Amino acid sequence: MMATILSGVTWTIALSLTALAIGIILGGVLCAMRTSGVALLDFAATVLILAFRSVPPIVWLFLIYFGIGSGIVQVSPFQAAAIGLGLITGANMAEIFRGSLKAIHPGQGEAARALSMPPVWRMVDVIIPQLMRISLPSVVSYGIGLLKDTAIASTIGVPEIAFKASHVSQVTFRGLESFAFAGALYILLSVPIALASREIDQRLRARVAK
Amino acid sequence: MPEDDALMHILPSQTSSGSQRVMVEVAGLCKDFGAHRVLDNIHLTVDPGEVIAIIGPSGSGKSTLLRCINLLERPSAGAIRVGDVEIDAFRKITRRELLAFRRPIGMVFQSFNLFPHLSVLRNVSIAQERVLKRSREEADAVSRQLLERVGLGSKADQYPARCSGGQQQRIAIARALALEPELMLFDEPTSALDPELGLEVLNVMQELATAGMTMIVVTHEMHFAESVSNRVIIMADGKIIEEGPSVQVMRSPHSERAKQFLGAVLNR
Amino acid sequence: MIDMLEFWRQSLPQLLTGYRLSLLVTGASLFLGIPLGLLLALSLQTRSTWLKLPSLSVVEIGRGASILVLLQFVYFGMPSVGLTFSSFASVTIAFTWCTAAYTSEIIRAGLESVPQGQREAGEALGMTRLDILRIVILPQGLPVSVPALLGFSILMLQASSLAFVVALPELMSKAQLIGSNTFRYMPLFTLTAILYAAVCIPATIVVGFLERRLSRHF
Repeated sequence: MMATILSGVTWTIALSLTALAIGIILGGVLCAMRTSGVALLDFAATVLILAFRSVPPIVWLFLIYFGIGSGIVQVSPFQAAAIGLGLITGANMAEIFRGSLKAIHPGQGEAARALSMPPVWRMVDVIIPQLMRISLPSVVSYGIGLLKDTAIASTIGVPEIAFKASHVSQVTFRGLESFAFAGALYILLSVPIALASREIDQRLRARVAK
Repeated sequence: MPEDDALMHILPSQTSSGSQRVMVEVAGLCKDFGAHRVLDNIHLTVDPGEVIAIIGPSGSGKSTLLRCINLLERPSAGAIRVGDVEIDAFRKITRRELLAFRRPIGMVFQSFNLFPHLSVLRNVSIAQERVLKRSREEADAVSRQLLERVGLGSKADQYPARCSGGQQQRIAIARALALEPELMLFDEPTSALDPELGLEVLNVMQELATAGMTMIVVTHEMHFAESVSNRVIIMADGKIIEEGPSVQVMRSPHSERAKQFLGAVLNR
Repeated sequence: MIDMLEFWRQSLPQLLTGYRLSLLVTGASLFLGIPLGLLLALSLQTRSTWLKLPSLSVVEIGRGASILVLLQFVYFGMPSVGLTFSSFASVTIAFTWCTAAYTSEIIRAGLESVPQGQREAGEALGMTRLDILRIVILPQGLPVSVPALLGFSILMLQASSLAFVVALPELMSKAQLIGSNTFRYMPLFTLTAILYAAVCIPATIVVGFLERRLSRHF
């Protein structure tokens, strides 16, 4: 029983990482649009962020898997889940990045401008490294939340932890143990990530501390 | 510490009678924050009606001493008696004892600490209702009278945020007085204020001193220390380094450290 | 296009009946969960290990295990120890647990935002601990938590869509039911998405407004 549920761990992690990667890229783009100073881009990004966040994950998954996936193009459950969770993650990442951007002292951008650094390098050399350090704790804690949210993908048939637990529970009629074990797995998976994040954050902080 | 043990026996000096007895008695008081000793074997007695100014460089432990006297900080060693209630650092203090101990002590903070969500009147009344079990009408009447006394009768229905710092501090004094304290502790009451606003507060404190209130004031106001208080205590590095009648201590201190400190602050 | 609008018009009443249940189960969970969250936040602040340890487990399990797994545990798991709950009760139990766990953190952060001097002023005035909590700390700390609590409530409404796995006939279940009869998933889930967004978007805007107002005041 345990072995079966454990075999879902790979899928849970793969789905979390894929959705997180999609989310970080999408979030970066949305954040850039939000802070571009171009009214139209800003507005478009605001609407997209609001829309992505205001529809439950499971509705996104069903919309992509059954809606789009059954008609125009074929989508696998994993792809549908990764895209759906990726969209929501992207919207949230955009907000996290925007918040972190505010935390960077405006003098940093001004200094880079005063040094006549070209805009691209201003971002790459000065802003983005600081942005990554500041947003790391929020990104990781969102990632941990995402790890648990991937359980939703079980409803469209991605064979991750919750799917396996559900399957085992139906076959063995031992729901209590199956779901308790699945729940414990999610907790166990998130603990090392949280610890690692704290460690990295402290090291990065120590490096720039006075 | 054998020295401290000896002092424990001296402390219950309930020999003298009634009004003559000392109001505050601090014996062998020590306070450690981790490995750092902030207060080192402090002895202090305060008579009823006495006004004591504690001065000294920042980090000398003067605020910590004041906060120990009403147990906002728990002493690491020593004993404190205020009025009839005595507290020993080595004995566990029950919640009831703590409340009884603080009952006769009023405190005024550097940052006022008024309750921002309550009107000025409620700020002064609330503790009277909760602690003295006064009715709301009774408490409000006392509060209005006290606000009048600190010159803020017209501010009763405002919120603290709408008052200047000097006004807030005077409200805080009224709030403490409302509980009819026998001893008032002032923790740098004017340090957060512009000089002009500080003056309003100092005037109220002077009036209070004249009226016979027992006061211990941690302050940077050298003029107040010299002219209003009866006795000045200079602290440095967690110790009392000089103590005596105000004018004498301020004008002709004995120790080198005290001379150095006074020289630095008075010649500014 | 007209065909789709007609389909929407036909399915809307059923979906709305489901939506009522979604809102009801979300409301019930918040109504029970938030006060529990306050209690958990308070007991986590005490020094008593007897209060702290159980509270900490409740919070960590509620936050750590996926809400979907929590729900399935209650509905499919508990019957094996003789506790059978209806789907509505199961959802309410699991979501209340989750709400209590998450809101305890939100409320704790709010209470901790009250400056230490406020507590000290109460102590110096000789107030009891309960009075300090009731008169000084809660009235200042709870309003700070309101935007985050409302934000969390939006997430809970969205999470109520998971209740279809235990066959609670809420919005998502209704959508799926209609979907499996008509196979018109695309327009159907689009309408479902619009229905959720119609509540969540204005609520999100209100949260943003409250947050900005709060940051101006402090």
